[in-house]
Amino acid sequence: MKPLLSIDAVRTAVQQLPDNGLAAARLAALTRLDADGLPTATHEDWKYTDLTRIVDVSNRWLAAGATTMPVADAAVAAITDQFAASWLVIRNGMVDARSIAKFAQSDVRIDLLSASDKALECDAPLSGLNVALLQDGLAIRIPANIEHAGTVGLLFIDHAAADVGVSQARIVIELEGGSAADFIEYHSSTGDAAHYANTVIELRLADGARCNYVRVQDRQAGHDQTGRLTATLGADSRLQHAAFDLGGNLVRNDLDIKLVGRGSATSFSGLYLAGREQHVDNHTRVDHLVGPTHSEQEYRGIAADAARCVWNGKAVVHRGADGTNARQANHNLLLSAAAEIDAKPELEIYADDVKASHGTTIGELDQGALFYLRTRGLDEAAARCLLMRAFAEKIVVRSPLPAIRQTISEKVAERVAALIVGDAK
Amino acid sequence: MATDPDNIENLVNRRYRHGFVTDIESDSLPPGLDEGVVRAISARKNEPEFMLEWRLRAYRHWRKLKEPTWAHVHYPAIDYDAISYFSAPKSDADRPKSLDEVDPKLLETYDKLGIPLHERARLAGVAVDAVFDSVSVATTFKAKLAEAGVIFCPFSEAVQKHPELVQKYLGSVVPQRDNFFATLNSAVFSDGSFVYIPKGVRCPMELSTYFRINAANTGQFERTLIIADEDSHVSYLEGCTAPMRDENQLHAAVVELVALKNARIKYSTVQNWYPGDENGVGGIYNFVTKRGDCRGANSKISWTQVETGSAITWKYPSCILRGDNSVGEFYSVAVANNYQQADTGTKMIHIGRNTSSTIVSKGISAGHAQNAYRGLVRVMPQAAGARNHTQCDSLLIGKDCGAHTFPYMEIKNPSARIEHEATTSKISADQLFYCRQRGIAEEDAVNMIVNGFCKEVFKELPMEFAVEAQNLLNVSLEGAVG
Amino acid sequence: MLEIKNLNASIGGSEILRGLSLCVRAGEVHAIMGPNGSGKSTLAQVVAGNDAYVVNSGSLLFDGQDLLALEPEERARRGIFLGFQYPVEIPGVNNAYLLKAAFNARRKHAGLSEIDAFEFLKLAKEKMAMLDMDPKFLNRGVNEGFSGGEKKRNEILQMAILEPRLAVLDETDSGLDIDALRAVANGVNALRGPDRAIILVTHYQRLLDYIEPDFVHVLSDGRIVRSGDKSLAPELEEKGYDWLREAANA
Repeated sequence: MKPLLSIDAVRTAVQQLPDNGLAAARLAALTRLDADGLPTATHEDWKYTDLTRIVDVSNRWLAAGATTMPVADAAVAAITDQFAASWLVIRNGMVDARSIAKFAQSDVRIDLLSASDKALECDAPLSGLNVALLQDGLAIRIPANIEHAGTVGLLFIDHAAADVGVSQARIVIELEGGSAADFIEYHSSTGDAAHYANTVIELRLADGARCNYVRVQDRQAGHDQTGRLTATLGADSRLQHAAFDLGGNLVRNDLDIKLVGRGSATSFSGLYLAGREQHVDNHTRVDHLVGPTHSEQEYRGIAADAARCVWNGKAVVHRGADGTNARQANHNLLLSAAAEIDAKPELEIYADDVKASHGTTIGELDQGALFYLRTRGLDEAAARCLLMRAFAEKIVVRSPLPAIRQTISEKVAERVAALIVGDAK
Repeated sequence: MATDPDNIENLVNRRYRHGFVTDIESDSLPPGLDEGVVRAISARKNEPEFMLEWRLRAYRHWRKLKEPTWAHVHYPAIDYDAISYFSAPKSDADRPKSLDEVDPKLLETYDKLGIPLHERARLAGVAVDAVFDSVSVATTFKAKLAEAGVIFCPFSEAVQKHPELVQKYLGSVVPQRDNFFATLNSAVFSDGSFVYIPKGVRCPMELSTYFRINAANTGQFERTLIIADEDSHVSYLEGCTAPMRDENQLHAAVVELVALKNARIKYSTVQNWYPGDENGVGGIYNFVTKRGDCRGANSKISWTQVETGSAITWKYPSCILRGDNSVGEFYSVAVANNYQQADTGTKMIHIGRNTSSTIVSKGISAGHAQNAYRGLVRVMPQAAGARNHTQCDSLLIGKDCGAHTFPYMEIKNPSARIEHEATTSKISADQLFYCRQRGIAEEDAVNMIVNGFCKEVFKELPMEFAVEAQNLLNVSLEGAVG
Repeated sequence: MLEIKNLNASIGGSEILRGLSLCVRAGEVHAIMGPNGSGKSTLAQVVAGNDAYVVNSGSLLFDGQDLLALEPEERARRGIFLGFQYPVEIPGVNNAYLLKAAFNARRKHAGLSEIDAFEFLKLAKEKMAMLDMDPKFLNRGVNEGFSGGEKKRNEILQMAILEPRLAVLDETDSGLDIDALRAVANGVNALRGPDRAIILVTHYQRLLDYIEPDFVHVLSDGRIVRSGDKSLAPELEEKGYDWLREAANA
């Protein structure tokens, strides 16, 4: 019998949370969570990812009093200094008020979720857990026709030492009609104790809005994360998204995009580099609710050591969504006998004027290319490194926000090098 | 329930007291399923004890199972107590001994479907073991096959004459407990084909069976077992037809293939069960478990299917690539028109070293139909050098149909090389115009383009089947365009 | 044979042909030239009956019969052949199979018996030899994986076999090397005869060095702005289309 999340303990924790504008939403989410529970492997979307570990960490954290540990300023600076962006910071689920204050003169409008009247998305089971235990979150708004210059950074940083930690964070981002903004979402953590972070981003693009978005996850080796981004795209809006999973232990990301307006389009990509006993699961889903709409995605992954990588990409073309174009690609390198790649590219199509395709490959490094490089004098490790970097770089160059590509490219190179030596512990 | 297996009469009478209509003169069992029915089926076939025990074990397990719901199909709940689990032609004494004695109406039906059984058997040198409502009605060319040492007979006959082979291989590929429908089949299977190709023998002709569901409310539960011993080859053709009926009929067959060292089995199916009418009334529920075990090194199992019929198709002919260097293939055309629903595909389980598999799936959806490809490619940790190539294409004809792909790839060996490609599109207006500009009518142009789309699969079919498959495709898509 | 009067046609809401008139008699070869976007391909597609193009007004008669009332296949069976600028690929459909079906569709329409595969192959091979084509062509999918030149030769092969009464060749010369161009010209010249007419839609004069037209028309902004004999082509080549456009607007 799998351990179940202790709902009574969650209820106790909910009661201890600050009595702000989120109190009613928390109780509603708790009721639903109590009824539905967390998904198990019999749930098709969770076939390859077992939440037992996350339930266990959560129960231990609840039993220990559900406390929130502080995160040092130095740890924050270590991340924010790397990128040219204005950062909003959430430390162990606590919104850093000072980081909001820096936006006072900006054309970006920022509120606490507790002070806004946003209805929070609660459809996915972990979204419900997120609302139930949410201390507070952020509501970001780009006013109509404003093209925000510069990149907005969203830093989720956690720390767990001595005791296990759990954090919930949520940000609602609205781009009003004709506006444009760039975001980098960064997940980082420190400390040797177990930690579980659960984040939800709700992104709403009104008609004609444009958004570039990069997510980087580079958590501590032992730390677990589930993250979900839902996006709705209005007419003629554009979303470009790229995701990089470099660290963490058990990682599950859901990217859920709904194309609701005619002429909307999205291009998204992801790179997952996993070694050790990492488990990295990326689920993407794009719903073409009207046509013409376009979606295009490419995910790439490398699994080394005893890692397991999962990619499940789904494109749904709804009835009447004529003129739809949906493309999926997924490429994987499997580098070790103990590693595993699971890939599931799905198409569900209920309209006929549609062009949809997907291509998936899984294999080892190209032996011919490896040999070629060695005849040119590279040793095997260097040759492997070169090929793996070339494989990964395809996603780096696809990602939006060219200004930060160099930094990401370096992080990717570092992670690739670590995979080759087997993550010297 | 304490029952005496030898005392069937009591049992039947007891059931009768419970309100079931039992006509002793009739050869159908009354609707409903309990241990008594399982015993009755076994007793009618005069089966040895091991067979009855095997059926009972399956039945007892089946009682604990729930019908699966994961497939992309929707249908009203099946009332398993409303189905009659056994139906035979009038009486054993009246069973035809040769084709000449077969009901002319049956032959006429074959004719209408473009399957001149008589002609085929004579001209094409095909031996036919036709299953007419569960019991074999005609078996030909037995002598020639016997000369080669090939055993090709109704399953029930194999149980009597070759119990050691049946006992050794039955359920060894599709275990009794494999899934809801396979377990049900294990309990109540009526008849089917049994093939054994001895070591080193190339079967001298293509073996062929036509299945046909005739009686109303009769589930058809055939069970086919093909064993290709070391270094042997066999090609087996299966065709399925059913007359039109308003009610839905259940068909839950099991096919097991065993290929030993260096053996090759080619299994071709043209499935044309009644699909229901244009409003979705009637039609066959086709829940079939087909699996081949490449048990020996260098063995090969190739499935080719053309699925045009059935209201619902739930079918995943699979290969377990256990032997080193073994090869699995799956070539499929699935057509769904009107209100048909198809959820079909394959599983390729790579276990041995240097195993390879090829999947080519062509799905065509028209009308209000839903057509899904569902496939699994699994490479086990020990399966060094595994190769898979999957090509999965869907063609949409009309605004109200659906085409779906659900491929699963689970890869645990780093030397594996797995490639999967899928496309979905409608017939292009440019292609249609091009053909029409050359003087070809629109419907013919559509048929031509669709047949071209399916070509990679059709070329895998034996010649006479390929022609029939093309005709079937055209008939299935009648009225889909325009 | 073909009589076009005041034809107005549009695609996707934008008007391409604006009052085009043209008369082609049996035995004639007409060349239609003009800059990109002048409506040359639209004319070809409208004659063949592509329903992506909407005819707003004007008339289109073939042997006195209203073409606009006919489906594309009915026009084809009456002897109208379009050599496509971009021949479409139809994967899996055998080239020979399409041709035989097309050939027999025409024969059937003409009240002739259909010919069998053997006779057809004989005919096809003769024509291929004339066009210097590899017989393997017949067994490939229609235009599947063909190079640009192969596709164009395939169009000419189809024309040679179908022996149309009116052939409209849309930029059949574009993208061809000199050998292919000669083969195409041979095919076209072989088809010339007192009962047939040919319309060559082309951008350059080059093709006309090999196929001598009886008339040359210049198309601009959806109508014919100038007609002349074969000497018009080199003049155009020399002076460019702007000269004509200016003349037309003057």
